[in-house]
Amino acid sequence: MAAEPTREWSDEQLNNDDLAKKDIITFIQDNAAHSFLSEHKLLGNLKNVAKTAKKEQLIVAYNQLFETKRFKGDESVEEVTQNVKDVKIDDKPKEEKVEAVYEGPPKYTKSVLKKGDKVHFPKKGDTIGCWYTGTLEDGTVFDTNIPAVARKKRQTKPLLFKVGLGRVIRGWDEALLTMSKGETAQVEIESEWAYGRKGLPDNKIPPHAKLNFEIELVSID
Amino acid sequence: MAVDQLSDIVQRCQTIQDDLYTPEDYDLFQCAARKCIEEGDSVHVLSIIVDEKNKHIVRCMGWNLVGPLVLVLLKNEENSVSPSRAIFSHLLEICSPKELLVSLLEQVEAAEPDVIRDTVMFLLQPLQKVLLNFGRKKATFLGMTLSTLLNQIARLPQEDTAGLGQCCSGLLCFVKPFVEEAKDTRNSGVAHDEELRTEMLKFCMMSLRDPLLGLQFTDPDQQDKSFLCEFATEILAILSGIGESLPELLCHELLKKHEVPGFLEEEVRYPKESLANLAYLLFVHHIAMETFPVVLSPVFILQCNMEHIELLLSRTEESHLQRGLDLYEKSLVRVEDNSLSVELLEIKTFISVPQNLVKVMTLCPVHRLRSKGLAVFQLSINKFNTEGKYKFLRCMLKTSHHSGVEGVIIKNIKNQVDLSLRPGNKNVWFQGIHFLPLLRLVLSLPQGPETDLLQNLDRIMESLNLLRYLLIRDKESDNETGVWLELQAFNDSFMTPLRLDLNMSKAHYQAELSNAGVKKKNANRGCDSESVCTVSVGNENLPNLTPEVQIQALHSALFTFELIESVLVRIEEIIEAKP
Repeated sequence: MAAEPTREWSDEQLNNDDLAKKDIITFIQDNAAHSFLSEHKLLGNLKNVAKTAKKEQLIVAYNQLFETKRFKGDESVEEVTQNVKDVKIDDKPKEEKVEAVYEGPPKYTKSVLKKGDKVHFPKKGDTIGCWYTGTLEDGTVFDTNIPAVARKKRQTKPLLFKVGLGRVIRGWDEALLTMSKGETAQVEIESEWAYGRKGLPDNKIPPHAKLNFEIELVSID
Repeated sequence: MAVDQLSDIVQRCQTIQDDLYTPEDYDLFQCAARKCIEEGDSVHVLSIIVDEKNKHIVRCMGWNLVGPLVLVLLKNEENSVSPSRAIFSHLLEICSPKELLVSLLEQVEAAEPDVIRDTVMFLLQPLQKVLLNFGRKKATFLGMTLSTLLNQIARLPQEDTAGLGQCCSGLLCFVKPFVEEAKDTRNSGVAHDEELRTEMLKFCMMSLRDPLLGLQFTDPDQQDKSFLCEFATEILAILSGIGESLPELLCHELLKKHEVPGFLEEEVRYPKESLANLAYLLFVHHIAMETFPVVLSPVFILQCNMEHIELLLSRTEESHLQRGLDLYEKSLVRVEDNSLSVELLEIKTFISVPQNLVKVMTLCPVHRLRSKGLAVFQLSINKFNTEGKYKFLRCMLKTSHHSGVEGVIIKNIKNQVDLSLRPGNKNVWFQGIHFLPLLRLVLSLPQGPETDLLQNLDRIMESLNLLRYLLIRDKESDNETGVWLELQAFNDSFMTPLRLDLNMSKAHYQAELSNAGVKKKNANRGCDSESVCTVSVGNENLPNLTPEVQIQALHSALFTFELIESVLVRIEEIIEAKP
């Protein structure tokens, strides 16, 4: 195990504009325990962390690191995550960057059945609530949360989830970001942005199934 | 005579005002009445109990008779049944619910395993009646009752599946009125309604652990486990009915919708083990699947389930491991191959679960589970995208510390290289700049030239196979994988130490072989051979290896070395053949 890292920068140096956020972040990422990084929200790609972390935050974190001495330890998860991290090298040559590839036109269509307020649109990460009914091309209803129709379900709550984070099928994420509060829309999603080649046999969705949803966006938080 | 004693005490008590009976009064009444019942004189007791004049006495003291009455009724003796039953019913009407409940529960708790079924089945209805008499403040008492019942049901003898089935069905009937009440008062906002709801939640969570977690859920041989399915379905329906949403329960950690004050409360209301079993029942057996939204993405569901899988796989009970493996498999299967992004590896469970899996594959005594573990391990590798595979394989190679697992990993690396060398699959992970560091990890001996070749056979063979493959497949002129560049380094760090190791091992085992030959001759001549060590398993000493078996083992080892050597030689040939 490496000896405790030395504290290079004084408070004065830290506060100086000459010292870049990235340098502080790099130091902390290299030396702090995984749990420390997690708590101070310093995990992940250097550029992303630099974007979201303020310099004051970093100075606080730097100082705390030396006070609490939560350096990389012998925890095997530590080692492991370090092993995983090791592979991430900052100066990757350009061809490895995941470029935004143009995938073609959106794989869903939306037609508005009832207009929304056209003012409140959800952003990525917002928690939204909606009522919905999903049908296959042949009209079979495979999913819904609307009480009148769903006799087996006793829930009377709209479906709540954080939009734009890949928690739902892609067609939903994309479509809902274009809807405003109160809007009801008919959304047709092609299989590539739904359940694709596999389908979902457990829920009676066949392979390559195009899905139809009627969605009402009722709340945005 | 007990009958007379009873009449005496009752007469005396009739004169006492305001229920001010002394403890002796209680004792005398109880003893006398009990003797009567036990001696078969229940008729007499009945006449006393129903007498209007004795109403106060009965109300205060009657509950003490519950114990003896239950015992008599359980024995089902013909001549005592009717009056005893009548006494029992009367008491249930008149006495204070609290005291009745305590004595009924005492009877439940006192039952020995062989009579638990009968006791529970008999007492369910009386308990229900008493609880309903509490009115709207029944929550705590209901909770107490349910937990006692479930604890006792958990003590039923293992083989008594019929008994378990009966008790489960009985329990469902028992809770029905309370469930309905909880549903009806769901949004009343009144404290004791909320408490009732909480008790129903606790009941569901307890059931999800016992009996629903310990048992093999579907037995291909026995059909009579279907009651477990029905029981599970009902429990999930109750959860739904009291307003618990399945996605919120299962993606608990991720959604963080519940802000129940107090850490302890959280654990009691949403115990992790129960939630893990819930995920298993839903995703593997599709119980209550119709109530689960379809639109949640498979990757998100996998993420949620990893928490539950980690819990299940970190245990050693077969029931838990089976469920963990099934749930992991089911969650992975829903995801497309090559689709999981490398960022998922930042999440702790995506590393800790495979590590638990390695433990199962290498340490679990049940062969079926070890095999399944391996299959699921391979499946998990397949689901990552190329960068993800790279990181995952690298990480597991560094941390598994088991030759067999390392062998599987290295084989996967070879397959990935093979894939990447095909037209259209070029990537920077299994060729190009990132591949060499990985290759260096592979082409190494864990303990240098002193590595135990037999112990590490799987790993060494796969490493050699990979090297041989690379040298044949990747032309020196193209050098897509970089192997030719580092050949000298690999020679120094891998091939030379391996050659040294082989020579030493061969020499050593050859010497052992000669010794064994000598020992054998001695044994044939009847000399005592001293054993250098004894091996005992489970407190029993294993018999020493006979010289014949020893010789066989040594030959086998030498053969293995030859195998390793043959690949090494082939590699050297390929290298030399290049101009």
